[in-house]
Amino acid sequence: MVTIRIRREGGTSVDEVAWHAEQLEIVEKPNGPAAAALLASGAGSLALGVLTVWNEASESVHDFLQLDTSVGPLSGKTLFAVLAYVIVWAILAPVMWRRSFSWAPILTLSAVLIAGGFVGTFPKFFQLFAPG
Amino acid sequence: MELTNRETWTALHGMVLGSLFLLAFAGGLAGLWSLRAEWVTINGLHERMLRLKAGVTGMAIVAWVTVVTGTWIVYPWYRDPPPQGQADLENYPRAFLLADESLKGWHEFGMEWKEHIAWIAPILATAVAFIVLYYGNQLLVDSRLRYITIGLFILAFAAAGVAGLLGAFITKAAPIT
Repeated sequence: MVTIRIRREGGTSVDEVAWHAEQLEIVEKPNGPAAAALLASGAGSLALGVLTVWNEASESVHDFLQLDTSVGPLSGKTLFAVLAYVIVWAILAPVMWRRSFSWAPILTLSAVLIAGGFVGTFPKFFQLFAPG
Repeated sequence: MELTNRETWTALHGMVLGSLFLLAFAGGLAGLWSLRAEWVTINGLHERMLRLKAGVTGMAIVAWVTVVTGTWIVYPWYRDPPPQGQADLENYPRAFLLADESLKGWHEFGMEWKEHIAWIAPILATAVAFIVLYYGNQLLVDSRLRYITIGLFILAFAAAGVAGLLGAFITKAAPIT
């Protein structure tokens, strides 16, 4: 039992809050679903980075990604990146759902994928691929 | 004193939704960081977990709404090309920035970075929301999973933070009116 005792001016003290120790049961779940979510977010990020670079490097890809003329190629880049994210998650989640994996390779791969997304969307990087 | 339709959407996108995201991040990070068995009681855990789940789910939803409104509603106004021979570019922010050598970096670097990196935020925030919703109390004892979630959460915030900060600067240089 824990008691919070408040000492007031004049020397009186009051026990304001008290509670008893309790037991909490946690049923451990395998890490597969978290790993699938992590890898899928990496895949979505990387897809955005790759599409951003590819859009810069190729005129035909640039035109293809322009799904909406008012938004420009950003419409295709973001739509296909989100699709990649959802599709990869939909594939990985059922496969990995009831299984546990070593974190090291999952974290390494996810870090590489997410870093690819951050690097690929950085202007000083993707503008290197602009023709001429 | 009134806001135009474009100014209203821009304010909703940047100030309302963007601010909500940043606020939710602060609460979520504090919630995740302090989710330790030695720091919580069972009663406290129920209240805290409910708040954390609502917070991270809200943050992911707000992130998606922010990037969708930004890309599909506000961004077309930003990149709207001026009519042929138009000299006054004040209502055409992209053209306005590109026409001025001292300002064009705001488009070529600032907007180019903002419009892309912003989309990484909801992707990562959704993974965080899923982990918190699915694993719940397990995060209390599984410190590795909790730290991974915190790492993802910080990356989502970093992406949104870059986009938000650049958005504020670009709006200052060339507001959408």
